[in-house]
This record gives sequence, structure tokens and C-alpha cells, in this order.
Amino acid sequence: MAQIFPRWTNKIPLAVAVTTPVVLVGVIFAIWYWFSPKFTDVGYQPEQPVQFSHKLHAGTMGLDCRYCHNTVEQAAHAALPPAGTCMNCHGNLDLGDRENRIKPIKDAFAGGAPVEWVRVHMLPDYAYFNHSVHLAAGVGCSSCHGRIDQMDTVFQDQPLSMSWCLDCHRNPQPNLRPRDQVTNMGWFDSPEAAAYDPNTDPTRTRAVAPPEHCSGCHR
Amino acid sequence: MTTRYTTVAVGLLATLALSAGCRGNKSSDPPIHPNWNMDDQQYFQPQEDNDWFPDHRAQRPLVAGTVARGLLKADDHLYRGRGPDGRLVDALPPSLPLTQALLDRGEARYDIYCAPCHEKSGHGNGIIAQPGRIAAGLLVKPPSYTDPRLAAMPLGYFFDVITHGKNTMRPYAAQIPVEDRWAIAAWVRVLQVSQRAAIGDVPADKLDQLKSGGAQ
Repeated sequence: MAQIFPRWTNKIPLAVAVTTPVVLVGVIFAIWYWFSPKFTDVGYQPEQPVQFSHKLHAGTMGLDCRYCHNTVEQAAHAALPPAGTCMNCHGNLDLGDRENRIKPIKDAFAGGAPVEWVRVHMLPDYAYFNHSVHLAAGVGCSSCHGRIDQMDTVFQDQPLSMSWCLDCHRNPQPNLRPRDQVTNMGWFDSPEAAAYDPNTDPTRTRAVAPPEHCSGCHR
Repeated sequence: MTTRYTTVAVGLLATLALSAGCRGNKSSDPPIHPNWNMDDQQYFQPQEDNDWFPDHRAQRPLVAGTVARGLLKADDHLYRGRGPDGRLVDALPPSLPLTQALLDRGEARYDIYCAPCHEKSGHGNGIIAQPGRIAAGLLVKPPSYTDPRLAAMPLGYFFDVITHGKNTMRPYAAQIPVEDRWAIAAWVRVLQVSQRAAIGDVPADKLDQLKSGGAQ
């Protein structure tokens, strides 16, 4: 009687036993690694209409973040400055042959079309976020935006995903700092940071209790 | 046979890894979200764009000749630094008593908004005023607050300059809320007075601190 299965089929169980775990691990790795906002969102660095350098303005010159983003302590939205804020200094400066780089700003200031900056940090519209409460609690700019003072062109430094938000909302203590240090980009590299304990900070009148329930952010 | 399969498998994995890239790589392509319609819903957040308007601003400028509710600035002392006679006042508005907290606020706000040009000490040699790597500093330098002309000015003058600007200094009314502008004006006065202070002006309990070089 002829054999139904040829001899090579004897290897099928072995091949399945070996390849199935490899493929499974591969699929799980691919989803864990490439489907995560740490991959899909972090590193977004759009080209801007004006090559504004935060490294120069906030880093080298040490302008406070709030000089330009002045609504950040009172409002949910950290406003992009109007062209007039740029002209506070640039109206009284001469950049020489680099002056044409800021032409769109000068045109906007003179009454032309506004400068259409490209938004870098895009929280979804179904997530409520308020800058002012985070600053009032002593969460600094660099905790979510990274070392902006070292970026020539700003990019997204953190995933801004829901689990990333919750990591801090469940355990805020390591990310808290004195409330007058929120715009200090290098706070966590400073010697004071290691000694700081928000629970004994006399300027804090109540404990930080970030919401962990759904409607805290999905209103 | 086996080596060929291994080569193919490794090659496929490597291609996948290379084509997909690594976490945190810089890219000007927008984040990968398969479904944007919940991310970007049909309402306008502050400073979002709206192509319906020619200037693409969803936030519309105030119509000329109108005042938004609650924004009628009727208090001349508070909003303009002027008394009933129309002259600049030399006192804080009644709603803002002079306290240590007000001065601390003024110092902090001064350091953010004024110190870049006027210098933390008020001598007018801030980082923007100095020659830098790109620009040669401000074309018109800010004056020192200890200048006799400025030392004689009433408090309302400094509030007025912050609010409306002066010469090459642009108005800061849009950037700094009115209470903070008064706090800054008070701090400018502190800077002026401190430059002319004698050792006898220091309270006895702060004298040791000053001599040991400690702050505050």
C-alpha cells in the first residue's frame, strides 16, 4: 500500500513547533515596539515657517518660557506669542544679513498674514488638558516637553499617551519641584532637586492629588 | 536548506527594522494615528486655524469700537495710573496694598519680562542689550533706573511705560496682567531705592544676613 504522506511531512510538527513561537514573539515585539506612541509620536519635528531657535532664545540667552508663552500660568492653553512679542526685541535689534529670516514675523507685525506655526504637541481633542493646574502643582515645562532649551527646532520628546499621563498621575511625587522653578529646564540636574521633598515644602498649601478617574481628562 | 531559510528570515527582520526605524527618530512627518477624526474634532481650540476666514484665524479679533463683557477698564488709577486730575499718580491703586507678597511677585515678573533688557539690577545692561553672537545688542539701550530723571518720576510713570511703551520699548499691556504691571512698577521703585540706600536703612534683624553676604 502506498504511503499517503511523503517522508518529508515528518518534519512538519517540528517546523511548526519552532516557527510558531518565533512568529508570535516577532508579532508581539512588533506591536509593542512600533505601535507604541513612543514610536509613532515621539520625535515629531515639523518644519516651521520661521527657523526660530529655542536653543538660542531659551538656552543661550536664558529668556524665561513665560516671556513668550505668557498665558501658561492662567490658562489651559500655553499661547504662542503674537508677532508683537517678537518685535519687543527684534524691533530694536539688527541681525544684519540674517534679518530676512524673520521677514514673515515682520510682515505679520506690519498687518500681514499671521505666521502659521506648525503645532508640535497635539493632544487629542477628547483629552482635556490644562497647563495652569500643572504649573500650580509644580510640574515643570521640561517634564513633558523635554529640554526645549537644547532644541534648535522643537520636537516631541515624550509620548503624550494616556498611559504616560497616568504614570505621573498615579505617582506625581518624583516629577514635582518648587513652584518657582517650573521654567527651570535643568532643575532635575541640579543638586537641590535630590534634596527636594514636596511634602515638606512650606509654600505648598495642599497635597497634590491628580485625578485618576476617566472624567478627570475625558470630560 | 536551513541556512537559506535563516538568511531569508534574518533579512526580512532586518528590512522591517530598518524601514520602520527606531523610537524617537526625528521626523517631520506627522504622528501616525490611524483615525484622526476623534483626535481632531469639529470645534476650534485656542489659536487653531480655520480656513473659512481669509487670515485662517479661528480666533477672531475684537470688533473695532466694542468692549467685551467684564473688560470695561473704567478705573483710571488701576488701568491708566492716572488720578482724577489726569496726572500720573505716585501711589499703588487702593485694591493693591503694598505687601511683601506684592514685591515678591513684582520681582519674579520683573525678572521674566524686564530683566532681559533692563538687567536684574535695573542698570539697563540685560542680555538682549549686550552684543551677542548674532546681534550687536539693542540699537537703543535702556536707561538705568538710577538716572536722576527716572528717580524723580512718580510710580504711575513706570506703570504707564509698561502699559503703553516708550520710545523703542513696546507696550506690555497684552503680555502682563494689570496687577502684575503694578507689582513690577513697585519693584522698579525698590531697585531705585536700593541703589541709593545707606547701611542705616537696613533693618537691624537683616543686618547680619547682609554682612554675611546672604540673600533676602
